[in-house]
Amino acid sequence: MNANIESIKKEFNTNVLEVSTLHNETYLTVKKELIVKMCDYIYHHLDLPVVCIFATDERKIDGSFKIHYVFSEARDDSFIILRISIDEKNPKYPSITNKIASANWYEREIQDMFGLIPQGHPDPRRLMNFEDWPAGVHPLRKDFDIKTKPPRVDGEYIYRRVEGEGVYEIPVGPVHAGVIEPGHFRFSVAGEPIINLEIRHFYTHKGVEKLFENISIDKAVFLAERISGDNSVAHAVTFCQAMEKIAGLNIPPRANHIRTILLELERIYNHIADIAGIATDVAFSFGAAHANKLKEDVLQLNERVTGSRLLRGMNTIGGVRRDIGGSKDEILLSLSIIQRDFRKLMEHLSSTPSLMDRIETTGRLYNDIAKGLHVVGPVGRASGIDRDMRRDHPYAAYKEFNFKVIVSKAGDVHARTIVRADEVCESVGLIEQALWSLPEGDIRVKVDKIPDGYALGICEAPRGETIYWIRTSGNKIERCKVRDPSFCNWLSIEYAVLDNIVPDFPIINKSLSLSYSGNDM
Amino acid sequence: MLEILRKTIKAGCQTTKYPAVPDIAPEGFRGKPEISDKCTFCGDCIKVCPPGVIWFTEKSGEKTLSLSYCGCIFCGRCEEACGYGAIKLTQEYELASKTKEDLITSIRSKL
Repeated sequence: MNANIESIKKEFNTNVLEVSTLHNETYLTVKKELIVKMCDYIYHHLDLPVVCIFATDERKIDGSFKIHYVFSEARDDSFIILRISIDEKNPKYPSITNKIASANWYEREIQDMFGLIPQGHPDPRRLMNFEDWPAGVHPLRKDFDIKTKPPRVDGEYIYRRVEGEGVYEIPVGPVHAGVIEPGHFRFSVAGEPIINLEIRHFYTHKGVEKLFENISIDKAVFLAERISGDNSVAHAVTFCQAMEKIAGLNIPPRANHIRTILLELERIYNHIADIAGIATDVAFSFGAAHANKLKEDVLQLNERVTGSRLLRGMNTIGGVRRDIGGSKDEILLSLSIIQRDFRKLMEHLSSTPSLMDRIETTGRLYNDIAKGLHVVGPVGRASGIDRDMRRDHPYAAYKEFNFKVIVSKAGDVHARTIVRADEVCESVGLIEQALWSLPEGDIRVKVDKIPDGYALGICEAPRGETIYWIRTSGNKIERCKVRDPSFCNWLSIEYAVLDNIVPDFPIINKSLSLSYSGNDM
Repeated sequence: MLEILRKTIKAGCQTTKYPAVPDIAPEGFRGKPEISDKCTFCGDCIKVCPPGVIWFTEKSGEKTLSLSYCGCIFCGRCEEACGYGAIKLTQEYELASKTKEDLITSIRSKL
């Protein structure tokens, strides 16, 4: 047993009711009264971040709800999961948000979806159930039928108020100027600088987690693929990995290599698109046009290799559905041209003063804030958080390859641009390694039935760590928790814009590359 | 500025003449699925279709298998499941239409 579990047991001895280990996940059942103390100990003393908090409705089994707190240990690729039990008649539990800021949205999500109240939460407003949603109706409870159409009620959402002489409020959205998804931003400004920003999301909450519980497992991978359009592969791979872990499947090495290639192709086009977006937002259309052209080149390569520009329909539980080994030379050639042009473009961008002036020192996200909110992915790495699932919790074929995790300390838009640019080059390197060492053999193993069980799936999407926790029962999905990277990263925008001027908001927003769709599930 | 001009000239025109000149999707592209008369109405494709856009009807001595492109996600599972090679994804991608009826393809057979 690992040292962390030992020290938790030593510290809390009889309060740890049950310990069970499955794969690299250790589940500790604990008393709910002690959850704040224990989370605080693991988070601050053992220095492990909370990567996900979710609830399950297990009233059919033992008449209670369970809340799981997932901590990630990068040193030995393991997870510690604290589990508390909450009685239906007393649906309350102590909030940990005062100790661990990143728990904020998770606890509010659980409050809306399951009706479990985090006592002492500093901001107990509703998050996903809007004010027109009736009280006491909680969609993820098992007794809520998926076809239910609850009546609309009257209600009001109270925004934080910022008052004072010369302070103005600028409401933006939820409908925006471009063809993008909805989200509300409420700026408070004194002159030009932003002194407060409050975001409001979940306008397009679709109930994806409920949907998962109502479709068959073989079809669910296609749903996972469509949660966040430009992170299709990452979501599909994470879902498949969780399922394969439950089934105890080892997928063929060739499939693992192909998955790695697909994941990196996805990362390349996403990062180039983000850089194009940053160039657009500072009105450097020359740079934007060239970056968009490169992105299009990658998308066309995707199409030629997999039949889908967004790499869809490639993953399945047990492996991949199409072999891409035959396109090896084409991928290598295309990528070398794209990389050469991309490098030249980046040199060009960094020698353009009109661009650099706008992005240097803009939208600074400080390391302590990024750490407190558990900001993930390239945004976190640009603020000095040295965390990458490909290295810390290796999956697919990443263990076999060499790559550098790019970290920068500056935390501004420039740092985020550079981290992405360097990651593109690392990704090209990874694809080359995967193609050169592509093993022979099958690309999928046949899966007929998934046994009962539960497991975590984890993956580094272009936006950061994506986590699935799935419980299966009777070859059906009992619960599927999806944690998209944007769910962690959205709140960071409230801090990144402070002291910046309103016209810089679009660049800061773009540089954080936040997904509405992945967030509003 | 000179560098920008140089790069712009070098890059030239990147757009294609589409739609004046047809843009043919590469081989292996997952486009519009088509049903051929090899179909035996076994219903395997109906079972595996994730969005459930393939269905079966029986009316006045005729059975019909229909597929709607409205909800099709072009995953190709029907093609995979078909034991007779009756349903195939094609390279066709221009599917826009003014009515939903235009987006339904069917195959009929006398009972």
